[in-house]
This record gives sequence, structure tokens and C-alpha cells, in this order.
Amino acid sequence: MRPLTPRRILWTCAGLFGVLFVMVVISLRMGAYPISVRDIVDTLYKAAMGRREEVPVEFWQVVFGLRLPRIALGILVGASLSTAGAGFQALLRNPLADPYVLGVSSGAALGAIISLIVAPHVVGAIQIAAFIGAASTITGVYFLGRRGGQLDSPTLLLAGIVAASFLSAIIMFLLTMVTGSELRSIAFWLMGDLTAPPPTTNVLGWLGFLFFVFIVAAGAMYTTSSDLNLILTGEQEARHLGVNVNRVKFVVYIAASVLTGLAVSVSGAIGYVGLLVPHVMRMFFGTDYRLLIPTAAIGGAIAIVLADTLARTVVAPTELPVGAMTALAGAPVFIYLMRRRMR
Amino acid sequence: MSAGAGGVALPESQRVPYSASPSLRLKVEQASYAYAATDRSAPKFTLGPVSFIAQQRELVAILGPNASGKSTMLKLLAGLLKPLSGRIEVDGMEISELDLLVRAQKIALVAQESELLFPLRVWEYVLQGRYPYGRRLRFESDEDCLLAGNALAQVGADALRDRWMDHLSGGEKQRVILARALVQQPSLLLLDEPTQHLDIGGKVELLRRLRRLADESRYSVIVVTHELNLAAEFSDRIVLLHKGKCPRIGTPAEVYQRELLQEVFDAPLEVEMGYSGRPRVILRGSH
Amino acid sequence: MIVALACCRAVSAAGAPSQAASDKRATRNVTDETGRRVAIPFSVRHVVTLAPNLTETIYALGLEDKLAGDTSFCDTPPAAKLKPHVGSPQTPSLEAIVALHPDLVLATTSINRAETVDALARLGIAVYTSDPHTVRGMLDSVAGMADLMGASEQGAALVAQLQARLDAVHARIAELPLVHVLFVVWEDPLITIGQNTFIADALRWAGAESAIVAQQNWPQVSIEEVVRLQPEYIVLTSDHSESDAASKPSELENLRTRPAWKALKAVEMGHVVVASDEIDRPSPGLIGAIEQLARELHPEAFALNADGRNLVGAARVQLEMVASACTKKECVSCAL
Repeated sequence: MRPLTPRRILWTCAGLFGVLFVMVVISLRMGAYPISVRDIVDTLYKAAMGRREEVPVEFWQVVFGLRLPRIALGILVGASLSTAGAGFQALLRNPLADPYVLGVSSGAALGAIISLIVAPHVVGAIQIAAFIGAASTITGVYFLGRRGGQLDSPTLLLAGIVAASFLSAIIMFLLTMVTGSELRSIAFWLMGDLTAPPPTTNVLGWLGFLFFVFIVAAGAMYTTSSDLNLILTGEQEARHLGVNVNRVKFVVYIAASVLTGLAVSVSGAIGYVGLLVPHVMRMFFGTDYRLLIPTAAIGGAIAIVLADTLARTVVAPTELPVGAMTALAGAPVFIYLMRRRMR
Repeated sequence: MSAGAGGVALPESQRVPYSASPSLRLKVEQASYAYAATDRSAPKFTLGPVSFIAQQRELVAILGPNASGKSTMLKLLAGLLKPLSGRIEVDGMEISELDLLVRAQKIALVAQESELLFPLRVWEYVLQGRYPYGRRLRFESDEDCLLAGNALAQVGADALRDRWMDHLSGGEKQRVILARALVQQPSLLLLDEPTQHLDIGGKVELLRRLRRLADESRYSVIVVTHELNLAAEFSDRIVLLHKGKCPRIGTPAEVYQRELLQEVFDAPLEVEMGYSGRPRVILRGSH
Repeated sequence: MIVALACCRAVSAAGAPSQAASDKRATRNVTDETGRRVAIPFSVRHVVTLAPNLTETIYALGLEDKLAGDTSFCDTPPAAKLKPHVGSPQTPSLEAIVALHPDLVLATTSINRAETVDALARLGIAVYTSDPHTVRGMLDSVAGMADLMGASEQGAALVAQLQARLDAVHARIAELPLVHVLFVVWEDPLITIGQNTFIADALRWAGAESAIVAQQNWPQVSIEEVVRLQPEYIVLTSDHSESDAASKPSELENLRTRPAWKALKAVEMGHVVVASDEIDRPSPGLIGAIEQLARELHPEAFALNADGRNLVGAARVQLEMVASACTKKECVSCAL
């Protein structure tokens, strides 16, 4: 009998952070522009020392203008999606749940499409509109998903599916109305794109803000992880053990939806990560949510950075959208997991 | 100091003192409840008023045919329903006024089944029973592990410790579920028709175990059942329910009177004295 | 630790586009065709094109030595395939572009994404986006781009040449009524062109007009509507890698076997024309495609002039006349 201790959580996370670090280094190295690890380290060092002038302009452009922002965004999006996926799987009591099942991504997509049609070149419009779309969907589905005033898992799932189909229908209608260049932008946004420009030129501030939102939402979800462990063995049983099931469901719903909305607003709908990373982490580390939530977050970051690196290099110089890469890799992993479960 | 504020476990010395008799675990005083189709129509079903007590080390059976109000009674005891009149007290405290966590520390409801979504080991499952003791996001202490180990030993499931929950047989699973309830260190152990899916051997084994647990512990065991003979054999007190009323409360010998049983269960029943001095019910033949 | 510190300091500084590159050489501020202000160096030595029509234009201007890289789709003229590639027009690799040290990147709204242009601008690279909506607009574009690259003379000469050919076609068919055609962008589902597209303008220069009137750029129509309108000609576009004349009649046969299409008079009479795919590309080769189309749709205007054919260097023109019912008029133009 070896119960989970905070120490074990920290060590596991440290190990996973190590893997993430290696992944980031590899990703920094790969790309169409030839730049060695030595040069990268040199650039980073000089940047840290404030000696920007000594760095060749192109090194700076490639490392800090192209690769690092992308990697940073990828880490954030991957962590958000996986954490949200883990949360939804518990909330909906369904191992097939992914962050998009409740329609949040369709709402964000609709917002993004409307902004592309109405205000195509306004900086930051697409992210804000996407987030508004996501937030509206979250609220709508919440009220639809209640039964007797409280969130009820099957009702919530139905409400989400209905919302997703309805929003998709509107999207389809809009797509037939738009012209060529808008259509292209929408298609790429929907596929998932980590290169979208931030709404402000203060990239650091933007990333910092996103990270802050992530910490708040994921942290809120983490405080319910003991409760989630119990709820997974039965809602009524959890109530009898003293869990405030309604409060926990509400917190998880809001936290997971905010994380999904965040990810989709900045990078479109990247699929499979939110569904699979929690399962893979369960395979390695068990189903205890006190460990699963942090490992899923880091695991998601690793997955997205890996997928993005591959997307940039597999058919160079053309770049595949990240969503295509996660789907290509995700389907076989999913099949493998399913077969394992059958056994 | 109020009990269980913020969900922190109270050390033994600071728990609210028990009322009058320190061994009185449960006191039901004129408790009643009613279900109505709508707020304004007449009640479809009324339970009570019912009064009885349960001491520690006692096994009380709530006995009656279907639709007699047994499940309603259980829900009242578990705190899921609030009585419309009267009081139900555990360790001297009104159940419906208890904080969620304190209630979980006092009352353990043993589930019949367990639908797990993801694989879980037996010891992990049992450890979850310690949830009511500690902060919201908690990590199990050595004491928790010790108690879990004891609980598993008490139900004879020690060897199952490292097994996966979904690889257990029905009987093994039931013992593990029981262990999780024990680990809550309750004052009341509630079971709702626990013998439903068991064969006769299983039924006897379960009741024997419950009896032994009651004898060796400081809590009361309350079993809702319709099994006449098992109730008679193993319980100290029987609360007989019939269509929402409580016609008799007492020892098995006092309650098992032929005319009464025949009326309540609507069957040709005979009562005779068994070997152990407890009554036995048999079905009268067609002759 | 150092990585974290470096990232923090650098990413904040990297937010603003680096001015270092453009400060070193003199630049002028130009407004491109999408209204964006771009600082372009006076001497442009390395150009990267992000679309096939732009590549074609560079070659037509004779500036291929300045072309540092193009997309993997750029195959006209064949020499363009040998240049370094930066990816597809829609998803080019920004790093590959940076690696070529371009002074100027050319893009067009008809294929490239605004996101690509924005991203390059943020890196401090000068991007000029053309936005041609009409044939004359395309000619102005060509002249404009030639100016940017310091080849104003070549630009003026090329434009004058192309304009002369257009005027020649116009002279022949100006008096004739416009032929109603169905321009098929895609067969199944049936998609045609709207009034405001580039192709619609090109068609007008060739003396034709789309039978379908629509404000949407790529309207999907039902074949019944086409049957109702009974256009005089069907115009299909070829894949320009096909040059086998023997396979052309199969296009008409194919259409003749399909139920609704059979009902069209144009199919019955064999008035099916395969236009070169240059027809939808805003590049010099477009003029050749217009000439070809004009000749096929208005054979009577070209029949009597022995000098009717006029092939210009860079463009490959495919003259495919698909007719099985050969009337006298058509035979004469086939002989051309």
C-alpha cells in the first residue's frame, strides 16, 4: 500500500519537465533556417545579458521571432487542452470525452469566423471574438445542462452535443457565403495554427497573461482532484463520503471550459490532444487525479511541441497545420489504447 | 467548537460529548416523512411516526415487505431526507443539521455496487473512505493506511489488497465496499438490502460478518431487509414496518408473532422457536 | 535559468519588428495594393515570390536572376522549378524565406494568406502584396512590381506589348455581341464564377460573358438552371500539364454521356471549349489565354486573317477545339 505523496508528485513532474525541456531544445534546433545549437545557446546567452546588438539579425528573427513564441504558445495550448480533457472525462463520466465535446470549440470557431468576415485585419479581433464565442457557449450549455438546478452529467453531454451541432450548422452556412481569401483563413484557423499573431506587440505580456489564466483555471481544478477521485467511483457514494458533488461539478465545468476556450481562441481547434494525453498519462501514472492533472498538463505540452516540430519539418519547406499532425499521430495511439482496454 | 467546520478532523478529546448514554448511537424520535405527487395534492405515501434507538454493538434490522417504507427510512437515517416532524439523532446530534463532512464521519452507507470508470486498486478504493477526515485536497497519512489495513482485515479481504477492483468476484467486491465504509470510523453502519444478489451461502456469510463486526466494534449496524429468518437470527432489535406504519419494535421473539407476520407479509407463515432460542419462520404448506 | 532569463528579456524585445535590417540601407515607403505601407530598399537584389503568377511575371520581366526563391507550385516557366522552394503558397516556411535573405517578398491576395504577410512583416521583412481584380489591374500590378525592383523600363515595355495584343483582340471583336458561356470551375458540384471575379473580367476581354449572374465569387448552381439558360458555349479549364490533343475529344464525349448535360444545346452542337488554365492566373500568360479563348468563341472574327495566331514567348497556349460535328466554319479555323 503506497499512497500518493506530494513528494512523488513533485518528482514525477520534475521528470516530465525534463522531457519537456529536451523537447524544447530539439524544437529550437529544427527548422528550415540552419542554426546550430551552439548558435542558439549563444543567442540566448547574449539576450540574457542584454547584448542584442551582437546577435545577427536573422538569428534573432528566427529564434525569438519565429521559434520561441511558437513553442511557448504550444506549451500553453497543450497543457490547457490536456487538463481540460482530464476534467471533462471525470465530469461527464465518459472516457471518450474531449475538450470539444461540449461545443466550446464550435462557439469559438463561430466567433472567429464572424470576426474574419466582419473585421479581417483588426489585430487581435479574432482571438477576442473566439473567446467571446467560447464564453457564450459555456454559459448556454451550462444552463441547458442542468437538471433540478444542478449539473447532471448525461444532460450536460446532450446539451453540449446539441450546441455543437447547431453552431456547426451556422458555421457551414457562413462558409458558403464567404469569398476565397476569407475561406482560406478560416480553414487554416479551424485546423489549428500556432503561428497566429498575438493581439499586442508585447509578446511577453501576452504570453504572461495567458499563462496566468492557465494557472488560475488549472489550479482551481486541481483543488478538486481528491473529490474527483471519489466521484469517479460513483456520485452517490461520493456524496455519502461528504463530497459536495454539485460544487465540484460546477468548478470543474467552469475551469475546464475556460481552459478549452483559452486554447481554442489562440490557436484554433487542435484535436486529439485533450482526449489522448490523459489516457496515456493514466497508463503510465495511474488514475489518481492528484497526479493526473499535473502530468496531463506537462504531457500535453510535450505532445504539442513534438507535433508542431514534426509539422514544421516532415514535408519541409511546406508547413502542415498542427491539428493535422495531432490527428495523424493521434488516431493510431487511440486505436492502441482501445485495444489495450479491451484486454 | 462546532463539529467539522472547514472539514478539519477533530481530535478525540474535542468531539461533542455524547448525550446521556454514551453508547447510544442512534435515536429516532417520532420521525415521519411524506411523499406527495405535487405540493398541493394529498400525500401518496406517509411514513411514521417512528421511534426507536440503536446502541453500540447492536445490529438492528428494519424489516418489512416491499413498499413498506424501508428505503424511505434508510434515506432518513442517512441524512438524504429531512424528517417532516420529529428528530433523528446520531451521537446526540440531529442528522439533517450536520455538515456534510461530519455526517460522513458519523454515518457510513454501504453501497450495493460500485461502477468504476477507471481501473483502481483495492487499497486505493478503501483509502478513499478516509476522505471525511482532513482537508479538501488531502494526502493519506500513515494512520489512514493503518486504518485501511485494519478494515480490510476485519472483512477478511486482506489478501485482496493489491488486486484490481474490476477483477474481483461479486462477494469479494462486497467485502471491499464494506471495508471502505468501515474505514470511515462511523457511529452508524447502514446497509440497504445487502443480501439481494447473494445466494443463501453468501447471505449467511454476510450476516455473520456483520454480526461479528457489530460485536467487536463501537458502532451500530442498521440493516434494511426483507429476509425474515436472517433478521431473526442475527439482529438484536427489529423495527417492523408495514405500509408506512410501525406496528411493532422489539427483539425477534417479541416481534415475530404469527398473526402479526401474516398480516404484514400477506403470506401463510408459521413461527417456531429455533435451536438458538431465536424464532424461525416457515411457510405453511397447503395441507 | 539562463534560458528563462534570456527568453523573458528577448521575447519582450522581439515583439517590435526589428528595424536593424532596413536601417542599414536606404528605403522608400510604398503603399501596396492592399493599402499596407511597406518600406522597400532602393536596391532590390533578392526577391522571393509566394505565388505562381508572380514567378511568371518575374520571368516575363527578365528579372529571374534576382529571384532567390519561389513556391513548390511555381512551374511556369519550367526553369522556375529549379529555384529554391519555400513551401506552398498557403503554408510557406517562414524560416525558409528568412534563410534566403530577401530584400523583397511578393505576395498576392488571390492565393496567399494575410497571416503569412503579417508574420513576415512582424519579422521586419518587406512584403508587397498585389491585389488584381481586373486584367488592366494586373497590367498595372506588373508595372508597379517592375518599378519596385528597379526595372521600370522592362516593365513598361512588357506592359506595352501585352496591352497591344489585348487591343488587337479587342479591335476584332468589339462590334460583336458578347457570347454567353458557362464557365465551369468545378463539375461536381457545379461551380461557376461570379461577376466580380478576375476570370469574369478576362472573359469580357475575350468577348464572352458568364450566363450565370451572381454576386458571390464562386456560386454553386444546379444543372437545371444551366439548361434553362442554355449558354452558347461551355468553357472548361484544362490542367496545363495535358498537351495530348488526342485526349481532347474525350472531354466532349464525357459530357455527352451525362444526362443533364446532354440536354444543353452547346453540348449537342459541340460548342465546348477547353481554355488554358492561365485564364485564372493574373500573369502575362493570361493575355495568351484570352487570345485563344477569343478565337474559339468568335471564329468568324479571326477566320479571314492568316496572321491570326500570335504566340508570345513565355506563355504556352493550348489550342484545343473540341468538335465532332464539324461545320464549314469550324473546319477553317481548325486549319489555323
